[in-house]
Amino acid sequence: MNIPTMRAVVSAMICLAMLTGCWNSRELDELGIAVATGIDKNDQGEYLITVQVINPSEVATEAPTTRPPVSTYTITGETLFEAFRKLSIKTPRKIYLSQMRLVVIGESLAEDGIMPALDFLYRDHEFRPSYYITVAKNASVENILSVLTPYEKIPANKVMNSIENAESHWGVTTGVHIDTLISKIRSPGEEAVLGGLLLNGEEDVGNRMSNVEQADAPTTLELDETAVFKEDRLAGWLTEKQSLGFNFITGEVSSTIVTHPCENGETSSVELLRSTSSISAEMDGDTPSISVLIEAEGNIGEMNCDISIGEPEGIDQINLALEEEIETIVQSAIVAAQSDFESDIFGFGQAVHRYEKNDWKTLESEWDEVFKDVRVQVDVKAEVRSRGNSSRQIDKKG
Amino acid sequence: MENYSENSRSPLTTPKEQPHPLFFSLRENVAHIQEQLGFSSDLAVRWVMINETACAFLFIDGLVDKDTIHDYIMSSLMLDMPVKASSSDLLYDRIKTVSLPVGELLETDDFRPLFSSLLSGETILLLENENRALMANTRGWQDRGVQETTSEGVIRGPKESFNETLRTNTALLRRKIKNPKLRMDGKTIGRLSQTDIAVVYIEGLAEEQVVKEVHQRLDQIDVDSIFESGYIEEYIQDAQYSPFPTIYYSERPDAIAEGIAKGRIAIVIDGTPDVLLVPALFIHFFQSSEDYYQRADIGSLLRLLRLVCFTIALFTPSLYIAFITFHQEMIPPTLLVSLAAQRDGVPFPAFFEALIMELTFEILREAGVRLPKPVGSAVSIVGALVLGQSAVQAGLVSPAMVIVVAITAISSFVFPSYNIAIPIRMLRFVFMTLAATFGLYGIILGLIAMVLHLCSLQSFGVPYMSPLAPMIPKDQKDVLLRLPHWKLFTKSAALTKDYKGSKHGGTKEKQS
Repeated sequence: MNIPTMRAVVSAMICLAMLTGCWNSRELDELGIAVATGIDKNDQGEYLITVQVINPSEVATEAPTTRPPVSTYTITGETLFEAFRKLSIKTPRKIYLSQMRLVVIGESLAEDGIMPALDFLYRDHEFRPSYYITVAKNASVENILSVLTPYEKIPANKVMNSIENAESHWGVTTGVHIDTLISKIRSPGEEAVLGGLLLNGEEDVGNRMSNVEQADAPTTLELDETAVFKEDRLAGWLTEKQSLGFNFITGEVSSTIVTHPCENGETSSVELLRSTSSISAEMDGDTPSISVLIEAEGNIGEMNCDISIGEPEGIDQINLALEEEIETIVQSAIVAAQSDFESDIFGFGQAVHRYEKNDWKTLESEWDEVFKDVRVQVDVKAEVRSRGNSSRQIDKKG
Repeated sequence: MENYSENSRSPLTTPKEQPHPLFFSLRENVAHIQEQLGFSSDLAVRWVMINETACAFLFIDGLVDKDTIHDYIMSSLMLDMPVKASSSDLLYDRIKTVSLPVGELLETDDFRPLFSSLLSGETILLLENENRALMANTRGWQDRGVQETTSEGVIRGPKESFNETLRTNTALLRRKIKNPKLRMDGKTIGRLSQTDIAVVYIEGLAEEQVVKEVHQRLDQIDVDSIFESGYIEEYIQDAQYSPFPTIYYSERPDAIAEGIAKGRIAIVIDGTPDVLLVPALFIHFFQSSEDYYQRADIGSLLRLLRLVCFTIALFTPSLYIAFITFHQEMIPPTLLVSLAAQRDGVPFPAFFEALIMELTFEILREAGVRLPKPVGSAVSIVGALVLGQSAVQAGLVSPAMVIVVAITAISSFVFPSYNIAIPIRMLRFVFMTLAATFGLYGIILGLIAMVLHLCSLQSFGVPYMSPLAPMIPKDQKDVLLRLPHWKLFTKSAALTKDYKGSKHGGTKEKQS
């Protein structure tokens, strides 16, 4: 290497070393880490976004102060992108979106159609698509995102953890990511659902530190019901039981508790540990018919019936009761979807597409109409594997 | 090897000495020696009469074992001389063959070897009317004996280390390998220092080509003085401009003997306990002789641990910088929040913060080496308090950065060979700069460049990264893992070059 080249290389290297503040580099203390975003529409048809930003020194501190662990900023804009940038007039730091945990969609936006809003969320490279999307059920997104939660300092984390816990232990909620949502909205013969987020208590109390200074916080965030969409518009809400039925059909119940009544007026609960479902379709002349097969396994968790579960006959009895109960739950979801919302959230259309490809071509255009009256056969096979520490119920008699 | 032309050398250089035959006159000879040595105060001259012939003993005080001179040279010649010789010629032969009970006796008729043996601690015997001199080996000076190794400690295994005397060092090797095939080729390098060097290997086991190459490179060295093996290392190493060492050194006789027994070649240099070992491959610097003394399982795990530490020591600060300034989305959210909280109020960019801390550590480390022992504890207090706590409390650096620097520092001391930590120390800063400029992308670019460089290196004809690149499956039993000894019977194919596809292997077959 001759001297001029050496000089050029050396000066280039020095310049590079000096240019460390350039391009994409951002220092951590210049970022406002956003964990939740609420999206809604105001009366003028503008987007109204609320961003929940972490206040790191309050979250990770050994000496807590009276300042809240998160701050929310609300702003309006013609488009979402515009609104997000406009946030900088309110926030001291650039809003950093890659650690987003939760997107809450306002009810009025959900009724108007969410697809336009999803475009930005899906397109922008800063979003990591691992956040959950929920719908605000009874309050504005601004109010919901302003609620300070006890125990978990960051409200968005609390919601996310609740979704995941309830999904794996209770089986009622559905955590939906953006790619699933978009693909369900777009695919024919299938509709989307989103979890609902409920503000429980006073709005004005929830956003104060006093809310988390009490053992029993007066205002809390709860997961409740499931929002049913028809295309990209909100069609209605499934109740808790219907939500469970929906999850049974889609096979997403990993563990839940099924309670059934018995002859002596008491109830018993079975803990389901595994459940699978398969949906198949066949043509019955011109009309399709769907059959859903649900297989479930579980343990007896609580036993107050007068059944001798020490005997195989007793277990059979429990199995039968369990099957009936699950079928009722499932049927309630199907009825709601077919007659109340007319929305094929189970993907029955997809099943017809898979099993009866040729007929689907004619059915596809009129599937919304067909779905309302399609015959659904539900079969449940339940099996109790273990009965716990006692082979009979514990009662007063000796 | 580079050719060092005469005109590029310093004016201090002593010219090569010309042959200079001895005189017949004893007085003239002694006068010449005294004159040449500038009537040096440590030159002892003892005039004696043996059989009525004038003789002179000359030796350097302090370099000789005086007991040997008194008991076996002087007393046997002056008191016990049995036979009277008629002529001085005969006397000379008598002395040489009969009357001088010392182990090593040489003769010369030239001043050059005379001076070099006189200055190495031999005793010169000059006779009147004789242009030959007898040189008796009476070397014996103060050395510190064979002591416990200070820089390469082990839990299990021999504790002895080399010292500064060549003969002691070669003897230590001999004691470990009692095989007639153990070769010790002597050399003298350095116009001024005349340093003795021994090339030690096992004939038939060490690759002939490499032995020849070592000799050739050593013979080409033209230098005034050699005071440490580092001088030799720089002259004979393959890659002059690489931060990675291509020559291994150790002060542990067992480590060097282990290498020799595997077909490598040791270069022992007088005046230093650090013995060189070639060829040295990348992986050798991660292998401690203790791996072979401990059980195979822990030996293997420790080797893997050292490689992990290599990565930690090299990349932790740069990865931290890259993640914290470019890829915040890759940090788990809880950690990110706590990092962000720590960074709040730190005035410097992460890169600068890392630079300050790494530099501070380097300063502490250098100071720790130089400091007199009694002040050593002061450094650790200053280091622990100033670095660990006060800097954080003062808001100069974030606590996470202190952890990063600490883990980096500790990891860089894991290697059994101090050598390999040096490129890590230097390259760490390069990677930090790359990380601060281009993020992970920069680190990967740097890593690719580093791997390419490593693969391009050779040590005495052996690819530096072998037996990993090129991959030699049958050598893998003693690379990342150390299989039980009974599985290690065959010698390394990388070192002996009889693996398939090698340039050397090919030519060797053709020759035979």
